[in-house]
Amino acid sequence: MSNLANLQLTKDGELRHFLTPEGLDRLMLERILDTADSFVVVGNQEVKKVPLLRGRTVVNLFFENSTRTRSTFELAAKRLSADVLTLDINTSATSKGESLLDTLQNLRSMHSDMFVIRHSDSGAAHFIASQVTPDVAIINAGDGRHAHPTQAMLDMLTIRRHKGNFEPLTVAIVGDILHSRVARDQIHALKTLGCTDIRLVGPNTLMPYAIESMGVTTHNDMDTGIDGADVVIMLRLQTERMACAFLPSAGEYFRLYGLTTARLAQAKPDAIVMHPGPINRGIEIESAVADGSQSMILNQVGYGIALRMAVMSMAMSGQMQQRQSPIPPNNVTKEPRL
Amino acid sequence: MSFIIRGARIIDPSNDLDQVADLSISHGKIDVIGDLKNAQAQIDIDANGMILSPSFVDLHTCLRDLNQVQKGSIASETQAAASAGFTHLCPSPDTLPCSDAGSVIGMINHKAKAAGFCDLLPIAALTKDLQGKQLSNMDALSRAGCIGFSNASYDISDNTVLLRCYEYAATFGLRVFVQAQDQQLGNGHMHAGATATRMGLDGIPVIAETLSISRHLQFMQHSGVSGHFNQITSAAGVALIRQAKAQGLNVTADVSIAHLCFTDIEVEGYRSQYHLQPPLREESDRKALISGIIDGTLDAICSAHQPHESAAKCAPFAATATGMATYDMLVPLVQGLVEAGELTWPQAIKALSTNSSTIAQGLAGKICTGDTANLTLIDPTHSWLLTPSTQYSHGTNQALIQQKLNGRIRLTIKQGQSSYTM
Repeated sequence: MSNLANLQLTKDGELRHFLTPEGLDRLMLERILDTADSFVVVGNQEVKKVPLLRGRTVVNLFFENSTRTRSTFELAAKRLSADVLTLDINTSATSKGESLLDTLQNLRSMHSDMFVIRHSDSGAAHFIASQVTPDVAIINAGDGRHAHPTQAMLDMLTIRRHKGNFEPLTVAIVGDILHSRVARDQIHALKTLGCTDIRLVGPNTLMPYAIESMGVTTHNDMDTGIDGADVVIMLRLQTERMACAFLPSAGEYFRLYGLTTARLAQAKPDAIVMHPGPINRGIEIESAVADGSQSMILNQVGYGIALRMAVMSMAMSGQMQQRQSPIPPNNVTKEPRL
Repeated sequence: MSFIIRGARIIDPSNDLDQVADLSISHGKIDVIGDLKNAQAQIDIDANGMILSPSFVDLHTCLRDLNQVQKGSIASETQAAASAGFTHLCPSPDTLPCSDAGSVIGMINHKAKAAGFCDLLPIAALTKDLQGKQLSNMDALSRAGCIGFSNASYDISDNTVLLRCYEYAATFGLRVFVQAQDQQLGNGHMHAGATATRMGLDGIPVIAETLSISRHLQFMQHSGVSGHFNQITSAAGVALIRQAKAQGLNVTADVSIAHLCFTDIEVEGYRSQYHLQPPLREESDRKALISGIIDGTLDAICSAHQPHESAAKCAPFAATATGMATYDMLVPLVQGLVEAGELTWPQAIKALSTNSSTIAQGLAGKICTGDTANLTLIDPTHSWLLTPSTQYSHGTNQALIQQKLNGRIRLTIKQGQSSYTM
């Protein structure tokens, strides 16, 4: 078992943190998808709640701005009946110089059961799960350019619900691979789920070093990159990339890598188009495609809640089981007897 | 104090000495090398199976102290150095405050002298406050005992300033020490390669080093200054140094013990103990660094010792301090290379002592009768556990903590006196 799997699983092999799909086996990823499938219907019920996390405290810690991910996590926790606290850390303690370690240990002392963490440093969630609060379930909501596992898994859920089996699929991921935490986790998940033809499309400035070592092919040309693809995943292009000399202009980028109706015709006729959002219309994707019949962009958002409910309930259950076995000593001083 | 060290394998690459013999020291000097069966001394050591080497000289180390006592003191770190076989150290000028004034150098030297474990041969700042703008008082600093000048890890981006630094140093025959890494391209957290890509960490490409080496070599050639490169990390970097030496340039270079033994794979799992600047590179680079030591392209092995307090390494990887405390594991790491058949002890001693002593203008590096005794006795097979209580450095950033290690210094002799005994 790899180190990453060790950290994320209980000794019985149950999920207790969800940091990245890397290191988790196919069975575990399929269980996450199956569980998410069962939660998709909850959103359609009149009462959109299940009691799985009743009495549990979930703290959303967003050290980096996010609207969509934060609100879907909050909704997912509420639909699981958890008590939810959402902290905007930018305006909170760490801006007063408190270290990440101290912030987290304080929150743990408030008997939190789960932290949902977004942080701009790669490995932040890994650091917290391994060294700061291993007895609190950690869900990685995005760390630097490393991982964004719930986004990657909701993309897998979208693909499975609309395309079925992963083995025969050709998946093209287009755009800013270098800065994308989503792309890395999509690659790990796709490979583990059996997909063998994963293509990355973009200019060399947006392609990470030695990315081929992850078992993918790289393409500078959009037309050959998406030729015959079953799934086309467009990544968001941050406009600040132009200022940092990664690209000359949004116009040139759209001309070379923008997904237009004409270009989409290179892919299979029944290909689906995905995007982790928020989309830049006219920069990476044409409106007609974003709003077209092949687009799954809004479906992805809906599946996002179900997927997050799935991993939150699974990790909470795993973490609770782990706590039944001897709890690692908390460095909080014991209450005096009165 | 007199010593007899019996039956050690005496290795001195400076005069092709590699033989099992006895060695005696009296009145601070090496007295006899040979058979001392009937002789007596105050300290008599059976050194069967051990290696007696000229003491080590470190061309790059950070001793902290001053405003960084939470990381280590000159007393604690020089003691750790003595326990690793060193008698002479060249501390880097990035002290706090930096070593750009005679008063700072005086303070450092005073503290080392009071502790008594090692003699310092400090490297002074090449520019004031290491800002890369104004020349430091090189002649005065040289008279204060500094043996070279460096801008530490701070690149001098202004070519005019760099040229004048080198021309001025060349005027007085002073040596410049360079940590070659382009500042902009070096703005990352580990080697740019497959591991960095998978972990989502900003990579530092090899060109960050080669570009800087080429640039500094041109300035050295133009100004005629003698230059030493600290901590070469890559195969391409070794090739550039080899080429420069073949062209007859007055350059030398070293590699840190960490770069000689570890690769970027160690960073896997965001292990901040392996967060180094310059970064650990790939196995092919490590192999080239070993070859560089063997063929003499790389003259020396330095410790690049950088102790830290535990909080400095306890954060998400990119936010952690760079550097490794290496003194406590240096000898076991060399022994590991010897056991793996990658290096021999004579090759290692040449790099840790003979050559580094020459570059640092130190008094060590030789075993000759009549010379002042600067020696270290290595027990290569001694097996021990590195723990907070067996380590000497104050630094908690010990990459091999709680591991069983092979090889330890039994005795270090500085100017005829014992500076460390196991």
